[in-house]
Amino acid sequence: MTAMSHDTTASRSIFSGKPLRILIGFILLVNGMFPALWILFTSLKTEAELTVKPITWLPHAPTIANYLRAFTDQPLLLFLFNSFMVAILSTALTLFISVLAAYALARLQIRGRDLILSAIIAVSTFPLVTLLVPLFEIMRALGLLNTWVALILPYTVLSLPVCTLILVSFFEGIPRDLENSAMIDGCTRIGALFKVVVPLSAPGVFTAGILAFVNAWDEFLLALSFNSNPMLRTLPVGITLYQGEFAFPWPVISAALVVGIVPVAVLIVIFQERVVSGLTSGGIKG
Amino acid sequence: MATASETTLVTTHNESGTKWWTRFLDPSERTLAVLLLMPAALLLTLIIVYPVCRLIWTSFQNLSLTSGLPASFAGLENYTLMLEDPVFWETTWNTVLITLITVPGALLVGLALALMANLPFNVKWPVRLSLLIPWALPLSFAGLIFAWFFHSEYGVVNDVLRRIGIEGVIWFNSANWAFAAICLTIIWKTSSFMALIILAGLQTIPRSLYEAADVDGAGRLRQFFEITLPLLKPAIVVALIFRTITALQTFDIPFTMTRGGPGTSTATLAMYIHQNTVDFLDLGYGSALAVVMFALSMGVTAVYLRMIRTKG
Repeated sequence: MTAMSHDTTASRSIFSGKPLRILIGFILLVNGMFPALWILFTSLKTEAELTVKPITWLPHAPTIANYLRAFTDQPLLLFLFNSFMVAILSTALTLFISVLAAYALARLQIRGRDLILSAIIAVSTFPLVTLLVPLFEIMRALGLLNTWVALILPYTVLSLPVCTLILVSFFEGIPRDLENSAMIDGCTRIGALFKVVVPLSAPGVFTAGILAFVNAWDEFLLALSFNSNPMLRTLPVGITLYQGEFAFPWPVISAALVVGIVPVAVLIVIFQERVVSGLTSGGIKG
Repeated sequence: MATASETTLVTTHNESGTKWWTRFLDPSERTLAVLLLMPAALLLTLIIVYPVCRLIWTSFQNLSLTSGLPASFAGLENYTLMLEDPVFWETTWNTVLITLITVPGALLVGLALALMANLPFNVKWPVRLSLLIPWALPLSFAGLIFAWFFHSEYGVVNDVLRRIGIEGVIWFNSANWAFAAICLTIIWKTSSFMALIILAGLQTIPRSLYEAADVDGAGRLRQFFEITLPLLKPAIVVALIFRTITALQTFDIPFTMTRGGPGTSTATLAMYIHQNTVDFLDLGYGSALAVVMFALSMGVTAVYLRMIRTKG
């Protein structure tokens, strides 16, 4: 949709020539994939193989024993469930709120529109870490500590600015006529928003949704601080706080990490172009 | 393609009707705007505005949940305590140092990755994926994976070093090596995002500029410094500011790699805030520390907003 079409623009570099290009492609792949691949290899090794020196690279006798242990030693399935629910619910809330706000900013005559947009950009750079104490107190006062809601609300704020900015630019691209005629056909303005504007902006809504999901899936500090009950841990917190009897249980950890990487990797593989356009448009426009 | 026929139908409809509804809706437009912005405003008030006020208030209070005493006004006590607290200075210095090392580091690596990814590859998706995966990986996962990389006995880093004839180190036993490992991890994790932004910028540079430069006989290196870099500047500035603000909040990677150790030598300000709040339950002191970080980030944001305004 946006600036990602390679044909009309220059693809140039200081380097050229085919063998060099293959080498460079290889470097890029190793840089991006090696850490995840290495943790996959680790997760498939037996405990004995992991304590051999010098270390082996590819697993000699691949086993799924570590995966079985990852799910039985700790409630990994529950961590996954918590992460999914928190991420999906906060994504839904983010989208709902940012669709409304973006429509107002893209379509309605608002005095101080530029001020509101500046405020949104300022919020997008807001260090949520600094609000650890007051948010902790507010969640405690509202009885929300050790609930999903304690995370859903801050995560929504985390993604709200980016999603709103992406949606504003998509909504501005939808011809007003389409909405107007829907309203003549008896739609209310809100009806036209959800029946005409949002469906036509589906790619933008999708992009915003994926970014919100990944933000929530990745968050660590608030999840660590607000939910002390082990049953409410999200995946990143749950895995980090896995403790063995004596040492950090690397075989099991690596299996759990692979389990945690797969959902996001799938999302990224399927929607890679959407994600890139969302990230870069948000980035360049601020 | 049912939508296409519907749209044409709908647009033809419209000409006659535009006027009466606009007249009808105009008066309520402001009310509608307020209603639509209300949920966002309410949420931001609950999660940002009110907490900021409360943060500043609490930073002037004695409020420790372990003491069991009610909050009492402390004046500047938390702040004077902070100035004399060596751990505050150490964690703040570590945070600043991480920012000063990893932001330019990620920029240079990201620029290199973007230039490489911009080559005319026949298949584009593996390259795109290899930039997206590090971005999508949770910071805490990156920390755990690299902690395993840098494991002194079974880590792949020391293994590779040994293969090329260098004796590895026990990374997490030494303050400096642990710090280096953390910085390398952060640079790896954040350079991909930088590369994606720069790559998008590269792809908007028209080819004709380079062709003209070729005609004028400018070499590739000169073209890079006189065409590519200046045109990339806006994209780079925005990416740098975002990266700087997130670097000031560094928590996940040092927490998962070293828990701040050995001692407090790799602890960051965010980790110290977390420790005072969640472990020591000293909310007053935790708030005062947070006010310092807040001031640091707001400074960077102010610069950012000013740049956007002068740009547009």
